[in-house]
Amino acid sequence: MLLTDSDQQALWLTLRLAGIVTLILLVVGTPIAWWLARTRAWWKGAVAAVVAMPLVLPPSVLGFYLLLAMGPQGPLGQFTQALGLGLLPFTFWGLVIASVIYSLPFMVQPLQTAFQAIGERPLEVAATLRASRLDAFFTVAVPMALPGFVSACVLTFAHTVGEFGVVLMIGGSIPGETRVAAVQIYDHVEALDYLDAHRLAGVLLVFSFLVLLAIHVWRPGTRKIG
Amino acid sequence: MKPVINVVACLLAALLCLVAPARADKITVAAASDLKYAMDEIADGFRKAHPADQVEVVYGSSGKFFAQIRNGAPYDLFFSADVAYPRELAQLGHAAAPVRSYALGRIALWSAVMDATRMTLDSLTDPAITRIAIANPRHAPYGKRAEEALRAAGLWDKVAHKLVNGESVSHATHFVQTGNAQVGMIALSLALGPDLASKGGYWLIPDTLHQPLEQGYVITRRAGNSALAKRFADYVEGPQARAVMRRYGFILPGEDAAR
Amino acid sequence: MSGLRARFRLAWPGFTLDVDLGLPGQGVTALFGHSGSGKTTLLRCVAGLERAPDGLLRVAGETWQDGTRWLPTHRRPIGYVFQEASLFPHLSVLGNLRYGMRRAGGAPASALDHVIDLLGIGHLLSRRPDRLSGGERSRVAIARALAVNPRLLLLDEPLAALDHARKQEILPYLERLRDELSIPMLYVSHVPDEVARLADHLVVMREGRVLASGPLAETLVRLDLPFRLGGDTGAVLAAEVGAIDAQWHLARVDFAGGSLLVRDHGIAVGRRVRVRVLARDVSLAAAHPGPSSIQNVLKGRIEVVADDEHPGLILVRVRLGQTALLASLTRRAAAALEIVPGRDVWVQVKTVALLDE
Repeated sequence: MLLTDSDQQALWLTLRLAGIVTLILLVVGTPIAWWLARTRAWWKGAVAAVVAMPLVLPPSVLGFYLLLAMGPQGPLGQFTQALGLGLLPFTFWGLVIASVIYSLPFMVQPLQTAFQAIGERPLEVAATLRASRLDAFFTVAVPMALPGFVSACVLTFAHTVGEFGVVLMIGGSIPGETRVAAVQIYDHVEALDYLDAHRLAGVLLVFSFLVLLAIHVWRPGTRKIG
Repeated sequence: MKPVINVVACLLAALLCLVAPARADKITVAAASDLKYAMDEIADGFRKAHPADQVEVVYGSSGKFFAQIRNGAPYDLFFSADVAYPRELAQLGHAAAPVRSYALGRIALWSAVMDATRMTLDSLTDPAITRIAIANPRHAPYGKRAEEALRAAGLWDKVAHKLVNGESVSHATHFVQTGNAQVGMIALSLALGPDLASKGGYWLIPDTLHQPLEQGYVITRRAGNSALAKRFADYVEGPQARAVMRRYGFILPGEDAAR
Repeated sequence: MSGLRARFRLAWPGFTLDVDLGLPGQGVTALFGHSGSGKTTLLRCVAGLERAPDGLLRVAGETWQDGTRWLPTHRRPIGYVFQEASLFPHLSVLGNLRYGMRRAGGAPASALDHVIDLLGIGHLLSRRPDRLSGGERSRVAIARALAVNPRLLLLDEPLAALDHARKQEILPYLERLRDELSIPMLYVSHVPDEVARLADHLVVMREGRVLASGPLAETLVRLDLPFRLGGDTGAVLAAEVGAIDAQWHLARVDFAGGSLLVRDHGIAVGRRVRVRVLARDVSLAAAHPGPSSIQNVLKGRIEVVADDEHPGLILVRVRLGQTALLASLTRRAAAALEIVPGRDVWVQVKTVALLDE
């Protein structure tokens, strides 16, 4: 076995986290990106800045404040408790929520750029061809922005796989729940088990490289079909 | 062309200022996170006694400092939570002087939301306690001792699922301070610190349940010629510093546990 | 069809649109003007792509916009041909055509076949837009707008992005549209040639306002407008091929006011044609000119004399029966010939352009 059981568990946990976060952000981030691409509201800049914040905040800072916010005295913590959901820190879903916040700009920004590149014209055309705005969004905007979607998903996935600071702060390194590959590697290093660290890091590196390679070799829109 | 040269020259000058070598008579001390409050006070005391000297203290996990010093990190003294690390460094030739023990640490139960003074280890099985914070036993000395204590008390299987691991003992303390864990098995020295003492009480975990937390320090090879490093080490072993350590619950070499 | 009634007032920084128009419910109405005149904006208002705050739009008895109602673009039974074709890059030609068809609903497949036939794009159906030439793209764009079975076809300078050869290639298709389909068309253009060939009704716009609105022939010969077309000034006549002279390879076209000899273009007798007579090709004579190479000589009466752009030139409108022609003269010549309204003159037409091929 190349990796120990606990390493495999950490890897699997990482992939699950990245996959779920990417799906959630696809649903949440698309409308935000669409709005940012097309609105002329004066407060658009403020929203764009807020979305971009996780890019500049140190992850451990973000993690620390999330720990406070999700704790029993924090606004988020009180909310989850009121709903009977308990507290989010040290849970997989707590990591999901934190990662959604942390990886938000990686989904929104490429999508926003792709939507902006489409411009107004194709949507006007769609309207003159009897497509409602929702219809036009799904049948014109989305297909035309497909490369942007691919970029955004890949970036979000890769970013979540590599996430460390936030997870460390609020995860509690619980095996099978919050001990993702990045944390596992860190624990190996801290415990001076360098060989284990090298192995797991190597697997992670190769996996990420293959995923990115696959995406770049196959890019929708650059191939001529038919 | 000229304006460009001016800009480049200014940038280079600025860069040089930033990386200018530190003046002599300055040392950087790497200290384990359980020493946070104690070492702050000791360093303050030293600075008052030697106003011309500059001492900077950095806190972190002992394991990380060990790895960094091994790879040339610029620390002049290393106060570890586990004497094994400095010993290893000495073996590898990174020490300028023999390793010395400076304290014995203790672990304690601490809580911000419950009354820890009335607890024992058995209290941890209480269903009201859903999360117990400890430092990661894999690599943190205080975490290792916490696990040993739980096992010795026959409680490990019962409470293991409640454990949340902090990167270091101070990280574990964060969890308890923010209320995310109801209870933590943390360093006594932290529980006695001003921030925590005002928020909750503690219960000392019997040291018969775990290996002793022998804490040792070393002057690193790079500080071999530093008179300041020697001065500081002497101060830490001197009476004022020892008094501070005692106040934070450390047992000093040669003395018995007062409690 | 009871026509189109539009009233729009839009105020943007640097531009205002202020129109109040009634247009016929059939044939081609050209919206003509220089860039910045507001013609595209007006078209977009009719389409619902711009929303004038308190506008009014009634088409064939249906109210599309008034104080209380606003019909969004996708619910208006229009077809819109954009300036740069703007085909969907992710769909094939057939996909583009079907896009609107699917949503307009009810149009039978045979209607689509007819449109494909009309525009001659049958061999392009499986291609992607990036593999089409400029002319092909324009034709597909027109076909796509027709595929939704519109009750009103809006065209925004559909030939602007094409070179001269392509334009000549597409114009016949547009003429076919006008002749074979009974869909009213609003055609935006700044090219007098296109207007002359296609329009039945002409709206002249400048700086967001309507200068004139009326049947093509009438409006083209108006000299009271603050508007001059330079070398394109002239009249467009509705005529019919009266006879063919095989010996001289000429055709005689008859209009309400006389006849003209033109080159024989192979058009059959009895066919209706449009004829264009530019003012610069018309000269006047006080008496019958006698033998000259100009074979088209007609008698008419001066109706209006007006200034042209250059101080040395004037424009004269001459009435021939129910038709009017424009002549471009130097002021000197006009003085020498005593050209005044009411005076009878001989009209020489050097060149006649037959607009329908």
